[in-house]
Amino acid sequence: MGVMTGQDYLFQVLFIAAVGGLIGLDRTAFGQFMISQPIVSGPLIGWLCGNVEAGLAIGAVLELLWVMDMPIGTFVPADSTIAAVWAAAASIIGAGVDPSASVMGFSILLTAGLAPVTMKADAVLRKRNARLAKYAAMDDGGGIARRLSNAHLSGLLFFFLRSFIIYIVFLPLGILAVSWFVGVPKALHSAMEWFLRLMLLVGLASAARRLTVSPLDPLILTGFVLSAVLSHVFGAHGLVIASIVIAAGWVEVRRRVR
Amino acid sequence: MSGKKRTIGRADLLRVFLRSLLIQASWSFEMMQSLGFAYAMLPVLAKLYPDREELERRLKAHQAYFNTQPYLSAFILGAAVRLEEERAQGMRSDDDVAGMKESLMAPLGALGDSLFWAGLKPLAASLAVFLFLTGSVWAPLVYLVLYNVFHLFIRVGVLFFGYDSAGDAVLFVAKYNFTSVARLFKAIALCFVGAIIGAAAVWRPEFRMGIGLSGAATAMGSLVIVLATIALMRRGASPLALMLALSALCIAAATIGVI
Repeated sequence: MGVMTGQDYLFQVLFIAAVGGLIGLDRTAFGQFMISQPIVSGPLIGWLCGNVEAGLAIGAVLELLWVMDMPIGTFVPADSTIAAVWAAAASIIGAGVDPSASVMGFSILLTAGLAPVTMKADAVLRKRNARLAKYAAMDDGGGIARRLSNAHLSGLLFFFLRSFIIYIVFLPLGILAVSWFVGVPKALHSAMEWFLRLMLLVGLASAARRLTVSPLDPLILTGFVLSAVLSHVFGAHGLVIASIVIAAGWVEVRRRVR
Repeated sequence: MSGKKRTIGRADLLRVFLRSLLIQASWSFEMMQSLGFAYAMLPVLAKLYPDREELERRLKAHQAYFNTQPYLSAFILGAAVRLEEERAQGMRSDDDVAGMKESLMAPLGALGDSLFWAGLKPLAASLAVFLFLTGSVWAPLVYLVLYNVFHLFIRVGVLFFGYDSAGDAVLFVAKYNFTSVARLFKAIALCFVGAIIGAAAVWRPEFRMGIGLSGAATAMGSLVIVLATIALMRRGASPLALMLALSALCIAAATIGVI
């Protein structure tokens, strides 16, 4: 791959911002087919930037971390889609296609600064969207059906622009930060490698905490023992273990119901 | 609908379904999904009410405050289509339609949140992360297929059922045992959380704890860290605060040469 010019970077940022904006529509405005979830959007952006596995690794960590943050009522959770798209793009573009584990860890760390921005932007947008309902209810003689459709569908544009602008502003900063990080002393790389590994465990804890009231839930321990024995003792394939884990969960629920 | 002709066909309902995919396009704190609901109803209302003034009255009525779980809004939309069809034939009042929407949106919101956001989503996510960490790059595809086959089956099904049952909540609960399904999904998701930790020694290299421990010790160590983190979270530590604290800890440990 040749040396990238400033124009190349600009094009990439615009491209990722546009794709990220479209993916972000799935989160609230259109469909909710879960394309926007980090474990899907991360590798998708990774693929577009030239490294699916880096995007998938980043997406997996962010998925676990935010999976139980639910959009219930007026609560607007941190935008894990922007975090995944941004971290995947920044680490792959900033480190030159093949980011190390430490770079991935560093880009995930930077998303901590992005989360409050996305929440604030979401809150502002959803407050302003009330104007759309007022516009739709106005009687300007043009027909309520037309006004309703125009007002409602323009919401898509606003949701897109919210993400697009965040990427345009923050993705270049992320790429610069990752480029800087590549040259830092080895100890910092070692720290971020461990940070990546441990963040996966924090993500698991975050998911488990909301799924059960008891940390020592027998279901967690059942999955743990089955997986440890099957993977370490028998060297079973992941799909085999997954099938047995699903069966075990089903049996346990049946037993509890009885 | 004894003695009355049905004017709404499957094609009309499918049109409503496609528009329901956009029910949150203009989501706001004040009115939530109100515009989205009216937008989804538009083609059916236009068919039922050729008189422009009547159409506008019904569209305004459907712009009242509305919020529920977006997938299960399809049930209320199906029911609203049926009630509007009957209203157009003089068999229902305005209050029947509004009352049905008001009475169903909160319970369906709670049911849907529990089934999809707190059940299916963590199940699909934990399965996908497990497959990825144990070596499959197809994990995102598994996630999408598992999630969407189930969710679309329910989403389309409840729209037609809402129309057929005219929004009968008792029939809905009897047909779709969402509480039990949600419990099953959460249980399997929890098993997968345990399974991911149990397989810690065979995780992808970038996540593996490379400190020379045996497989069993690595898995046990990971379990202890997860349990300790849960304890911290129960004491009020947010994921973001833990992220920052963990990074500081890692940097400090690397600086003094521990890791």
